[in-house]
Amino acid sequence: MTLLSPDFAEELKEFSDDSALACFNCGTCVAICPLIDAHFPRRMIRYVQIGARERILENATELWKCLHCGLCTQTCPREANPGEILLGLKRLIVNHWRKKA
Amino acid sequence: MTQDKKNDNATAPRIGVYICHCGGNISDHVDVDAVRRQIERMPGVAVARTNMFMCSDPGQAAIAEDLQNGTVDRVVVASCAPSLHEATFRNAIRRAGANPYIYEHVNIREQVSWVHHGETATAKAADLVAAAAAKAGLLKPLTPIRVPATRHATVIGGGVAGLSAARDLAARGIPVALVEKSSYLGGQLARLDRIAPTGERATDLVRELAGAVLEHPDIAVYTDTQVVGCDGYIGNFKLTLRRQAADALIGAQADDIPPAGIRPTGPSAAERQETALETGAIILATGFRSYQPRRGEYGFGEYAPVLTLPALIEKMARQAHQGPLLQIDGRPIRSVAMIHCVGSRQIPGIHTEDEEGRLNEYCSRTCCTATLNAADRIRREHPGTRVYELYRDIRTYGRGQEDLYEQAARNGVVFLRFEPDQEPRVTAADPDDGFALKIQVTDTLTFGETLDVPADLVVLATGMEPNDVSDLVEMMKLPVGTDRFLLEVHPKLRPVEMPVGGIFVAGTCQAPFDVGETCNAAGAAAVKAAAMLTEGHVELDPFVAEVDTARCQGNGACVEACLNPGALNLVEMQIDGQTVQRARVTPALCLGCGACVAVCPTNAIDVCGMTLRQYEAMVDAIVAGPAAAETV
Repeated sequence: MTLLSPDFAEELKEFSDDSALACFNCGTCVAICPLIDAHFPRRMIRYVQIGARERILENATELWKCLHCGLCTQTCPREANPGEILLGLKRLIVNHWRKKA
Repeated sequence: MTQDKKNDNATAPRIGVYICHCGGNISDHVDVDAVRRQIERMPGVAVARTNMFMCSDPGQAAIAEDLQNGTVDRVVVASCAPSLHEATFRNAIRRAGANPYIYEHVNIREQVSWVHHGETATAKAADLVAAAAAKAGLLKPLTPIRVPATRHATVIGGGVAGLSAARDLAARGIPVALVEKSSYLGGQLARLDRIAPTGERATDLVRELAGAVLEHPDIAVYTDTQVVGCDGYIGNFKLTLRRQAADALIGAQADDIPPAGIRPTGPSAAERQETALETGAIILATGFRSYQPRRGEYGFGEYAPVLTLPALIEKMARQAHQGPLLQIDGRPIRSVAMIHCVGSRQIPGIHTEDEEGRLNEYCSRTCCTATLNAADRIRREHPGTRVYELYRDIRTYGRGQEDLYEQAARNGVVFLRFEPDQEPRVTAADPDDGFALKIQVTDTLTFGETLDVPADLVVLATGMEPNDVSDLVEMMKLPVGTDRFLLEVHPKLRPVEMPVGGIFVAGTCQAPFDVGETCNAAGAAAVKAAAMLTEGHVELDPFVAEVDTARCQGNGACVEACLNPGALNLVEMQIDGQTVQRARVTPALCLGCGACVAVCPTNAIDVCGMTLRQYEAMVDAIVAGPAAAETV
């Protein structure tokens, strides 16, 4: 069970583009991603969209698979900028770990 | 394909038989040429032809040509169901200058080629066509019944459909009575605020329409009034209106004027009044009611912050305020969850039936856009309030509505999608969560993960149900669909007409419509009614009972058997210098059912166009078979 955090979007604003809600779940980013990893990066974008803060923290290491080739951002039909959101999430995670430490 | 036959006797009927391929629909299973060869040998058949599509222009032209050059004077078309094209061919005959009632229609598609195959199909088609040809030989030209029509229309229901229809009728010079059960005009529209997708105010729409209606000298508005009696027929209805006394209104109903409702000025009735009204046409605009969720359905009735969408709209209109957070009943709302398809698209075995065992299996069509409209407005006016929409499917079908969907998404509305058998569960939130409620939902957009959505407010997008008009249905003998909405004659070809002549439907008593569609329907119904009344008379099919006074002995069995009171009476008349009683038909009231024919001991009554002799000829032809005719 995942409790959504309605304020997560506010929290993320400090680190990333606020474009996740433009995503309409088409999956183009997954198709173009050279990692060929199930639902990457769409699952992360969806977590951001709904504010599934816990799930992002649980799966944080997945973010470091990203090569930052930019293909997802280039091909996104809704200009949701998935590449930038992934970068922003990394910044948020690093900040989170730093605070915990 | 043709083989004309000379007919020696000029007075004998010359029957033309036209058999349709229906582009293969019929001819893939019925050997239409074999049917034609058998039929053209039948006595009385002057010509038998086949055509790829009889209903096409060349098909109809073939009939017209044969009629005009005298080859035929009776027509049989064997094609699809008469409900589709009987009128088409009667009109073709009328245009060719002949009487449209020398026509017989045979259904060899729905009743033959779609259900039988191979030789049996061909044999049955031949039998049916032979029977029709045998009947056609006995058909007589008939004259439609013409009855005078009262130049007045009655609209039942004072919502947007009724107001719109009344205004349009009056604009065409037809006096109108508008009958409304409640004490205000505006109906369900009066409960709304801003209308999707254009954002107009419901108040403005109601004020404009109700203003035009109340000002018009030819419209009489009866509020607090119900139709309690209906007699008569197309062009000549007699209605009884009952106005409730003012003291009956004190209490809930009197206070319950919604925000945009308009109450006509004038004194309330001191006591119950009944009024008789003569009217030529009736438009039913009885509207819908919003689905009322069961107690416990998504927490409704159990948790105070669970509202229906109409209730939210009304609260937002009455409690308008500014600020980053939406406030409802004084409570700041940080998060709203809106659940779609409540009381709509219910599935047997999954959803719970109401007390009467019914489910609303239809889509209410307007709630998706109305929900998005409310969600988008909350996001724009109170950006601190998060909005989650939990849906099964989103259907924003009309002009401008898809744009609203996209706009709501861009303004930060979050969408979650659930399967019908995994409905969201609304429960009280843990005190630590800080929200009033949480909604557990298995979200297919998050790859089937189960999520808890925290919410201070849950909004149920409730669908439409038709208002209960069982009294009118009973009184006017109206057909009702399995979904309980009123059922039109044909959804495309006659979309605003009831099968009972002179009665029309407008708006959401027929199906879920939005305001624009409701006005379209009201306009169409008004035009149909006005066109009918402007002529001053109406024409009815002549398939009614006819008495042979030479045979009638006046025993009255037919009057007792008659299903429509007033259609048959015994009257005194002079025959051979003697005063005798004889049956007399009032054609406009006769249903053409034939109950009288069955009971007459002297065979003195018959239904025009369906006489006993015609039926006997049909039976003979079926028993003998067209093949028998061929070997003779």
